[in-house]
Amino acid sequence: MLYDVVTGPIDPRELEAVVSHPGAGAICTFTGIVRDNSRGQTVTHLDYEAYAEMAVPQMRKIGAEIKERWPGARVAMAHRTGHLEIGEASVVVCVSAPHRHEAISACQWGIDRLKESVPIWKKEHAADGTHWIEGDAAKPSAKQ
Amino acid sequence: MAVAIAIRVRFFARLRELTGSETADMKASAGARVASVYAAMRAYYPALPPQEGVRAALNHEFVDWDAVVSDGDEVAFIPPVSGGV
Repeated sequence: MLYDVVTGPIDPRELEAVVSHPGAGAICTFTGIVRDNSRGQTVTHLDYEAYAEMAVPQMRKIGAEIKERWPGARVAMAHRTGHLEIGEASVVVCVSAPHRHEAISACQWGIDRLKESVPIWKKEHAADGTHWIEGDAAKPSAKQ
Repeated sequence: MAVAIAIRVRFFARLRELTGSETADMKASAGARVASVYAAMRAYYPALPPQEGVRAALNHEFVDWDAVVSDGDEVAFIPPVSGGV
């Protein structure tokens, strides 16, 4: 599991094992979790949809850019799709590097890039109905 | 007479719901641009939003609206991705 879109639970430890090696003194793991509130509303659950054939190559591209910017870094990313309950992990970005500063910076850069350029969408089921989250906007789903 | 090419169009997330379709196969003229493909789709699916606020991908890469499509290409119309904090 290096760059993947998956339908089942993501285990961050599995991604850490992929990037771990004797020369890596630091591993930074970002885990995105389904939150029980959004826009001041109670959220019951989320649905994620991916353009998988494009999402995985986009993740791989982000990984390649990380390795260019932070030499020695190793990267793993996974995003889950389908129905997710509160508290479940939706996305994990994991970076190992020789030292902690590179690992932390690269991991933050990686999740920020993923949020901008990897075609995966979130449908939020909340107290005020069902909305697609498009950047900062929440747009009502045609299927309530 | 313009040469016709066959392309596959894909819709995701809110755009998929608005069209009621995941994919559409269409004929276009050789040299057609992504913007004209979207315009043709909007004529067919009037619920689709204006081009502003939508991004286009050609064969799994983001492209500008003036990118030229070729026979067998896959064009995807993509609403803004999740963002979030």
